[in-house]
Amino acid sequence: MSQPVVVYEPFKAGLPPMREYLRQLRHRRAFISEFARSILREQNYGSAFGQLWLILNPLLLASVYYLLIFVIGGKADTTRFGHLTATLFLFYLIANSLSEGAKSITSGQRLILNTSFPRIMLPISAVVVALFRFIPTLIVSFVIHAILRLPYSWEMLWAIPILMIAVVLAFGQAILISCINVYFRDISSMIPYLTRSLLYLSPILFEAGKISHSIKKFEILNPIFYLLDSWSRVMVHAEAPTAKGMLHASIFAFTIFFVGTYFFLARERDFAVRL
Amino acid sequence: MISLSDSSHEHTRGSIAVSVQNLGLTYTTSIDKKPTLKARLKSLGRGKKFTRRVEALNGVTLDVHYGTVLGIIGSNGAGKSSLMRVISGIVPPTKGRVEVYGSVSTLLALGVGFNPAMTGRENVYLGGLAAGMSQAEIDGKFEAIAAFSELGDAIDAPMRTYSSGMFARLAFSVAAIVEPDILIVDEALSTGDAKFKEKSLNRMKELRTADRALILVSHALATIEELCNEVIWLNKGQLMARGKPAEVIAEYQKFMNVGKSASSDEDV
Repeated sequence: MSQPVVVYEPFKAGLPPMREYLRQLRHRRAFISEFARSILREQNYGSAFGQLWLILNPLLLASVYYLLIFVIGGKADTTRFGHLTATLFLFYLIANSLSEGAKSITSGQRLILNTSFPRIMLPISAVVVALFRFIPTLIVSFVIHAILRLPYSWEMLWAIPILMIAVVLAFGQAILISCINVYFRDISSMIPYLTRSLLYLSPILFEAGKISHSIKKFEILNPIFYLLDSWSRVMVHAEAPTAKGMLHASIFAFTIFFVGTYFFLARERDFAVRL
Repeated sequence: MISLSDSSHEHTRGSIAVSVQNLGLTYTTSIDKKPTLKARLKSLGRGKKFTRRVEALNGVTLDVHYGTVLGIIGSNGAGKSSLMRVISGIVPPTKGRVEVYGSVSTLLALGVGFNPAMTGRENVYLGGLAAGMSQAEIDGKFEAIAAFSELGDAIDAPMRTYSSGMFARLAFSVAAIVEPDILIVDEALSTGDAKFKEKSLNRMKELRTADRALILVSHALATIEELCNEVIWLNKGQLMARGKPAEVIAEYQKFMNVGKSASSDEDV
């Protein structure tokens, strides 16, 4: 054999050779799904009761929040409950991606130290886990929609691009936070505070149109504000999302995705010596 | 766990398997085992150092040919594992070049990628996929892996119910059944009971063929002398000697100021 099968050289501009990296990523996609399944199995989601809990947990949370709104606000209607469940379920996709993603590299230490593979597979697997956990809640959303007799229209197909934007955002933040957590291991313990703050600052317990003018100008700073608002318009009110909402959500999602991916790829050579 | 880079190719004895040219590896690592943002913020302005620069390899040049069983010896921190990790693509070099002329398997640790909540059978697939094998390849080798592990019906029990010996047997089986062009082993055989060690050592001997190159890192000098037909000695990231096992080992022992008994005392 005159030509080498593989050549390892210093990374140019700190990045791995992208063509080979993407080829490896594609070649190893079966591992991503198997690894995600193994994490779910570890969390007992492989059993019937585990899967039931996937549905019960967000439903119970939604009921508690609904009760809270009713007690504080004094009134709450079926649309409000529909809005609360739909947005809460999508919010948990984002929040779970963040928390699972944060520890994906540090918990994959043995794999990283002993096997050659694209490291980005680990945060990707974390998002796949979050997606597996989200899918049952999506079905529950449609059941609630039918029970509450909320409206239907073709505009609901907007849910597909909105969900795709949410997935891009989930990948971006998981990739970024997994890398940061290698350098600062206490970042993962700050995530519950971050997600709780996002929960209260996003249109979940309230509808986007009902916040006061004095704080409305700050909504642009929240990366998921318009994403959740668009989701609510589509899934609860069966309306098309606003162009501004879609643009805002897309800009945030793709910016976080590209910045996070670049940061990760530029740093991943360090992981084997930092863990 | 074994890591497989590509499918097997045809080779002749003496043709080149791995070419390492002027290899250098320098990296920055944190001083704290678990660096935190809190610690970093608390010591702002105090001039405390958080990272250190490590020169793990410096100007290492060597060729490994098919038919060779190359042993790598050296004290702790000599750069043995770093060299293995660069050759297997786990860490990219910072200087020089590594050319690999065949499929590479790395057996650096046992059971990497395994999940104790899953059964032995599921872990064979998980471990195989982690190593870069395809589903079809694992399907084709599953019976051989199960037979080699001697687990019987326990293969369908969760791995958390396994003894450490059963765990090691299954992990080594997944790794040992693959027949790569170049196999890199780093201290992986130093776990398990005596029967397991003997079985894994025998498997290593079976894998010594003319169309395969084996690279073995170990502190067990007796094993290195028994298995290898060539040895290199690394010290502080630099290649100190290369040659016949007995000669290089003697030179290393003289340098380290240890007696001959040290090699036989060490475990396989």
